[in-house]
Amino acid sequence: MTSQHRIRRRMTATTPVVLSLLLLLFVLAALSLGDRAMARMAAETLIRVTFVVGFWVFVGNSGVVSFGHAAFGCIGAYVSAWLTLRPEMKATLLPGLPEVIAAADWHVLPAAVAGGGVAALVALLTGAAILRLSGIAASIATFAFLAMVNTIWANWTSVTGGTSSVVGLERYVTPWVALGWAVAAILVAALHAASASGLALRAAREDEVAAAASGIDRYRHRLLAYTLSAFFCGSGGALMGHFIGVINPDGFYLGLTFLMLAMVVIGGVGSLSGAVVGVLALSIAVEGLVRLEKGISVGAVTFALPPGSQEIILAVAMILILIFRPAGLMAGREVMLPARWVAGRASRET
Amino acid sequence: MMAKLGVYDLAVRYGKLTAISDLSLAVAEGERVFVSGPNGAGKSSLLSAIAGAVRAAHGRIEMDGEILSGLGAEAIARRGLSMVPEGRRIFPGLTVLENLSVGTGMRRDRSAVADDLETVFTAFPILRERARSAAGALSGGQQQMLAIARALMTNPKVMMVDEPSLGLAPKVVDEVYDRLCQLQALRGLTLVIVEQSSARAARVGGRMLLMRGGRIVADGDATEFAARDLLAEAYFGGAA
Amino acid sequence: MSLQLVFDALALGGIYAVAALGIALIFGVMRLVNFAHGQFIACAVFALIVPSTDALAVLGLGALPAPVLVPLILLIGAGLAVLAEALVFRPMRNASPVALMVGSFALGVALQNLLLALYGGRPKAVSLWAELGQPVQIASASVPLLQLIVIAAVAVILAGLALMLRKSRLGLEMRAAAEDFTMARMLGVRSNRVISGAFALSGGLAAVVALVLVAQTGVADVRMGGQIMLVAFIATVVGGMGSLSGAVAAGLGIGAASALLQAGLPADARPFRDAFLYGGVILVLLFRPQGLFAPVGAKPRV
Repeated sequence: MTSQHRIRRRMTATTPVVLSLLLLLFVLAALSLGDRAMARMAAETLIRVTFVVGFWVFVGNSGVVSFGHAAFGCIGAYVSAWLTLRPEMKATLLPGLPEVIAAADWHVLPAAVAGGGVAALVALLTGAAILRLSGIAASIATFAFLAMVNTIWANWTSVTGGTSSVVGLERYVTPWVALGWAVAAILVAALHAASASGLALRAAREDEVAAAASGIDRYRHRLLAYTLSAFFCGSGGALMGHFIGVINPDGFYLGLTFLMLAMVVIGGVGSLSGAVVGVLALSIAVEGLVRLEKGISVGAVTFALPPGSQEIILAVAMILILIFRPAGLMAGREVMLPARWVAGRASRET
Repeated sequence: MMAKLGVYDLAVRYGKLTAISDLSLAVAEGERVFVSGPNGAGKSSLLSAIAGAVRAAHGRIEMDGEILSGLGAEAIARRGLSMVPEGRRIFPGLTVLENLSVGTGMRRDRSAVADDLETVFTAFPILRERARSAAGALSGGQQQMLAIARALMTNPKVMMVDEPSLGLAPKVVDEVYDRLCQLQALRGLTLVIVEQSSARAARVGGRMLLMRGGRIVADGDATEFAARDLLAEAYFGGAA
Repeated sequence: MSLQLVFDALALGGIYAVAALGIALIFGVMRLVNFAHGQFIACAVFALIVPSTDALAVLGLGALPAPVLVPLILLIGAGLAVLAEALVFRPMRNASPVALMVGSFALGVALQNLLLALYGGRPKAVSLWAELGQPVQIASASVPLLQLIVIAAVAVILAGLALMLRKSRLGLEMRAAAEDFTMARMLGVRSNRVISGAFALSGGLAAVVALVLVAQTGVADVRMGGQIMLVAFIATVVGGMGSLSGAVAAGLGIGAASALLQAGLPADARPFRDAFLYGGVILVLLFRPQGLFAPVGAKPRV
């Protein structure tokens, strides 16, 4: 019994390693094609992995759907922009920034961490209120939170630039930088899921009554997951800003919310592997659809999908998955090394 | 003779939990059958499966030779099988009259509906009195009467009542059973009733089934059960 | 409080109430938080104009005389909602409320992008019933005729809906199903009929909101349903999810609050009006999860 349990635990521990290797392969494959567009696509995909894995830490473990995580991306992106933009640029673009921030001229890495940190802090404060609610009420509250952040960002022109974009962010995010963050997010997510808090949260998701009876303080575990989850969405937002070089409040609104949800639903919300597989599958599909929207030439004729068809196809795919395979592509399973690969050492130790 | 209600090899599962297995049962037209047994024996699951509120994992349910299993709850109700569920489940925000009308939407015999309303109002005069008030404001006994009357308004051939005596004072239970038997005689109903007390069942009279662990373990006249229970009580001080 | 403000509050609140009803009806019957409601509104708006990605809008159905146009747009709204139910939500009938909610979100995205593909992304000027903009003098206030019509129409709709729910067979079945769906089915109530009915009503109400929005703003925008849907959500939550009278009361209340905030907030805080509203809803959820209008002991339905 014990050794079987031990093997199982070892297998679980291989999941983040296998997923990270999968992402490494993905980057290598994309770069080996030598295409600049492919490299960009790889970087963007890995930023999304950071984002969606962060999102999954809360949604996957708690079972509560959040519509608010795009707002954490928004916060992270702007915090990083505030800290890294050249002071003289800020003086003209964002005259309302407080003195300390206006003078800041940080390196990009601590700025991304700070972006995540501020997002996590906001999550801690708002989550303390929102997470007292039960399932659907909490979801609606997160939606209200998203709308609130968007309204503030779109109107607080002197600090955020309002609806006009903030430009000139240093574009430092290569596929390798994004891979580093994605792997970090996966490791943290796996550690959290295996921790006592993560286990308790999933137990509470499966059976609320039993979990409450066994004394699980669901609220505290939810809040922890929410805060952790916001950290990676915040730094994911910072990465996205520095990937494109331009940020805008509407870039972190319903479109991003939809994309995150679609990725988690299609991959399967039940497992970390589901989240990662969802991002890979959808990113590849989106890339293909974007190219189709731009048009492909066959001889003298150019075929192009009308704009918007990418989202329509994704939405339809999402609905079909919800109807026919509600557990998603991975159906709650994790990718891991087979038992016999890890069994050897385990049995020697016992 | 073809059974009015036939259940063959029924199994009901909730996830991994088996509530009913290998259960077969035949009820004749106009019969009154009590279903008894300890908590968790599968009594309510049996009724819910017959009514289509719970999907059977296996087996076949027939009424008048027509297969009911696999049909939805609404289709089964429309074929003349009516259920008074556990906990009564009246619509508390609707008036008493509205509660009684919900089940008449499927009926085409408009004039008979008016007659039936008169019948249930005669059987349960309190419902006529409170016709315009919210059903949620009724007492427990009155709600039980409303639930029975509501089921009757669908003009059923077979009616199933889940624990009509639950939470009611003995005197009220007497009244509920009086009316139930009276209406059964009047309408030629086939009745299936979940009832814990064999003494009560014996007093009302009818056939009795004892369920345990999702199966029927005994089948006979209610008076025999009551006698056996009395005997058990005499020996063991009130088991069963 | 000036008379002018009263009319503003009533007209705005009335529209919010109608939008909130559209969401509360569906939630009440099948526990679906319908995130596609805003896009139902947008689709009804664009049904007025001829599909084209040109900047200039050409009225199609919108050019019809009002007595034909209004019922036609209501039918289109209802039809769209019924179709959406049959294609998306019926196959998901046994899914959890969370999955249903996510499904409706996806449906909303699909509809919005469908409009985007057909009509282009730029807002278009649409002149619908421009003559209704002329002011009418009532006591001290000068009120646009349109505002009076909106207030009257909302009153008629609310009364009509209340009557329909109280008096008709479908209304009875919908109320019964909202209280206990399985029990209603065990009494022979057809779930498809009730759910389709709720969607048809909801879609019709979305079309009403669409007509009013276009007449008031003179613009057709793919995103125009989104903001009002958010307010409608807030109203349904504040009113107690699934409670129709609660949704109406909260819609009116939020309309009044918006009008007051708009008039009362200092000018530089006005753009943040909606942020205050969204913050307010989180507070309401926290302190009265069963809604403002439900009795204190009532169980939250979400």
